[in-house]
Amino acid sequence: MNIETIWISTIRMSIPLTLAATGSIFCERAGIISLVLEGMMLSGAFAAVCGSYYTGSALAGVLCGILAGTLIGLLHGILSLRYKVNQVISGVGLNLLVTAVTTLSMQLLWGNRGNSPQVQGIPHFTGVLSGQSVMTFITLALTAGAWFVMMKTRYGLRLRLTGESPEAAQTLGLPVQKLKYSGVLVCGAFCGLAGAYLSLDHLNLFVREMTAGRGYIAYVVAIFGRYHPVGALLGALFFGFFDAFQISLQGKGLPPQLFVVLPYVVTILIITFAVKNIRQPDGLGKL
Amino acid sequence: MNRKIKVKNGMQALVSLLMAFVVSGILMAICGYQPFLIFGAIISGAFGSNSAIVQTMIQATPLIFSGLAYIFASKAGMFNLGMEGQIYMGGIAAAAIGGMNLGLPAPVHIGLTLCAGMIAGGLFGALAGVMKACFGANEVISTLMLNFVAINLTSYLVNYPLKAPGPVAQTQNVMPSAMLPKLSAHSQLSAAILLAVFTAFAVRYFLGRTAKGFDITVTGSNRKAAQTAGVRIRRILILAMFVSGAIAGIGGACHITGVDRRFVDGFSAGYGFDGIAVAALASNRPLMVLVSSIIFGALRAGALRLNMTTNLPTDFISVIQALVVIFVAAPMLVEDLKSSGYKLAGRLTGRRKEAKEQ
Repeated sequence: MNIETIWISTIRMSIPLTLAATGSIFCERAGIISLVLEGMMLSGAFAAVCGSYYTGSALAGVLCGILAGTLIGLLHGILSLRYKVNQVISGVGLNLLVTAVTTLSMQLLWGNRGNSPQVQGIPHFTGVLSGQSVMTFITLALTAGAWFVMMKTRYGLRLRLTGESPEAAQTLGLPVQKLKYSGVLVCGAFCGLAGAYLSLDHLNLFVREMTAGRGYIAYVVAIFGRYHPVGALLGALFFGFFDAFQISLQGKGLPPQLFVVLPYVVTILIITFAVKNIRQPDGLGKL
Repeated sequence: MNRKIKVKNGMQALVSLLMAFVVSGILMAICGYQPFLIFGAIISGAFGSNSAIVQTMIQATPLIFSGLAYIFASKAGMFNLGMEGQIYMGGIAAAAIGGMNLGLPAPVHIGLTLCAGMIAGGLFGALAGVMKACFGANEVISTLMLNFVAINLTSYLVNYPLKAPGPVAQTQNVMPSAMLPKLSAHSQLSAAILLAVFTAFAVRYFLGRTAKGFDITVTGSNRKAAQTAGVRIRRILILAMFVSGAIAGIGGACHITGVDRRFVDGFSAGYGFDGIAVAALASNRPLMVLVSSIIFGALRAGALRLNMTTNLPTDFISVIQALVVIFVAAPMLVEDLKSSGYKLAGRLTGRRKEAKEQ
């Protein structure tokens, strides 16, 4: 276990968390509870593999992943906003649905419930940046972009106002529904990309329930990062470190079950002890 | 109140179930399967013979427990999504106590074993309750994360300290004195189902007829009012999560002592998560859980049979369950779908005028 491998592994594990948490920020700042991240990521991961499988191009796969995540975001938006479903139940229900549909589709497409065949994955750099995924830099750029949009543009200000007080936004004549939809759709796109990264960056295949709770961890990362894109990036690195540490312990003859749980335990500890004074958007979950 | 509301909720649940069947049927048709063939095979696999009915009951039993567990927590306004983990904890505790040769008479040993499962599941649930009540931790996250902890912890235990000799990661058989009695000599059905039915009545009695139960439902429906009325919210939240986890824990213990007779690594095939759909279909009413568990148990049993005999995709039943959860929570969506369904039907039969009135 040397420091360099842990550092590289930390970056690798933190990318999907950064992306999903950034998405979560858009959703929650718009006032919609984003417990649907897991389903968005899983659908993104699956669609990315499908896209890459049928076109042979990783880029097409990633685009399919983004689309699938956005679709789940649209469903979550329609259920929450149009049909006034409890947003936690809508999220959890969609997560269950995506898990079922992806498993079913795998069986239908490839006759295998466990995993998909290998497909073309996202390219990695060679040369100076050898081994680094293209996605590392895309993620950094997207985080910066999210920060700019959220904190420095008129749209971001309106989105945040909508999440804090939909009534005030309504009074100002802002298109509250549209803003909320935009938040949840952006969230879906980010999570779809995160899912595409999970399936296409290293394994290059889809495994059943491969997100393994990362959507929920990303939800906590977003809170831990005080609903700020840069905070989310730092929080994701923090959680990514524990994932990397856990991975570095594998294959050393120790019982793997004992340290596989490390990221989950850290998540529990963080949500219990570390986020008490972090204020959530006031209008969260309200209509 | 409430008879009317209850009937209305029941109808809503029934329509949601039918809608879920229709949507998944359409999905099957799109995928090139014949929906009626698959549903027919599932039904005959679930009710077609005595052994099929027994299998349905066996599959329904853990669902009753997890459905009740979900309802109990949700009556206090909490989402317990940690039933899966609580089932595992209850199961491993039961396997450990049931596997000891204590020289006790069977009824005492069975009681002790089930108690162990109940307490293990309950404490695991109460953990999330304490985190919520004392630190405000979102229970959706904490219970889901605790699932991973429970699954891995029990997996460690059956792979290392409690592993029985042999290639499979499982514990020793439980002692004969700790096994739940079978209902008839020839079938696999154990007394677990009776215990499950009893638990349903007990939950209904507790929530509907006792002071503590009233405190729980008030806390769930209006936390501020409850606080004003002097209900100790924190205690109630922790109590609700404890009991919820305990019910799921007994479910796990019953599965170990009644069906599997030992703890096999990863034994719960999503029984905990299915409890969410069971509770949704039952419109959060304890006795209706018995009905909805039979429905979902039948789907499971039918799918198991289907899996053995054919290679038809059986994950359709998980799709149905997820759709039920969504549809039950979205009455307005169901209304919309219903009316567009009527319109479509009207158009198909050429009775547009009537359809417009719907």
